[in-house]
Amino acid sequence: MAKNTSSSAFRKIDIDQYNEDNFKEDEAESSGPTGPDEGEICALLNQGRSIEALKLVLNNAPIGSTNQQVKDNALAVTLKVLLAIKSAQIEEAVGNLSRDDIDILMKYIYRGFEYPSEGSSGHLLLWHEKAYNVGGSGCIVRVLSDRLRV
Amino acid sequence: MSATLKPYLTAVRHTLTSAMCLEHFSSQVVERYNKPEVEVRTSEELLLNPVIISRNANEKVLIESSINSIRVSIMIKQADEIEKILCKKFMRFMMMRAENFIVLRRKPVDGYHISFLITNFHTEQMYKHKLVDFVIYFMEEIDKEISEMKLAVNARARICSEEFLKRF
Repeated sequence: MAKNTSSSAFRKIDIDQYNEDNFKEDEAESSGPTGPDEGEICALLNQGRSIEALKLVLNNAPIGSTNQQVKDNALAVTLKVLLAIKSAQIEEAVGNLSRDDIDILMKYIYRGFEYPSEGSSGHLLLWHEKAYNVGGSGCIVRVLSDRLRV
Repeated sequence: MSATLKPYLTAVRHTLTSAMCLEHFSSQVVERYNKPEVEVRTSEELLLNPVIISRNANEKVLIESSINSIRVSIMIKQADEIEKILCKKFMRFMMMRAENFIVLRRKPVDGYHISFLITNFHTEQMYKHKLVDFVIYFMEEIDKEISEMKLAVNARARICSEEFLKRF
């Protein structure tokens, strides 16, 4: 039988959380590359082969990883590469990338904007412009909507 | 116009154009309601990744988008105390009259100085490219406006003090 109680605590329960068709974030399996190798990238940069370094970091971006630390490390390495490439070379560098790489590049550009340091934003704005010229609105929309964040 | 202003505005323009794909979306919780999802945040699946575009540490734009609304928050450059006060007063003046600006939000998002909230109703009633133009124009003008006001304040202060010190 129902108990007679004056407690009104049940009114505070969020019943919507028991709804069956609530959206749940897909359980991301941490697979794929675990981030670029910093030593290798530095070596490439020192030899002046920055475009190859850029390709390497974009191909090894830890987009599937759930570990924030890994992603932050990869971001730091990628930003180093992006800032190492001179303004005059950007167009050439972007032109050498595949479609998927440009999407990842765009993600890193937007991540880079979150940590503005001396002169980095101005350089990233240039990168943004060149990447937009190649990728168009599509690659910005994919940055906005993709659940696989960098 | 300084060297980074133009690419900055271009980047914001491209991002806004891409982000402003809004459609009518009925609330999943309350029947016959339409709430801006970027504000109520009922479900992760309706929100898109927020992005930041920065020109330097003091000038940033935060763009948060969702299925039926988009929130644009602007951080305005403030070099010194007087610019801080002018900016605060000016933003307050505008936000008190937010209805007249239609897309203006009544309060800025934490950490920013002014926010716009654009919903699907706005994009239905107004041209999308004009809305983007408005935000860009606003960003262009606000810096100019504040530095003009600062000059006016300084000029007035100089005249006042001259008048006052004439007597001695």
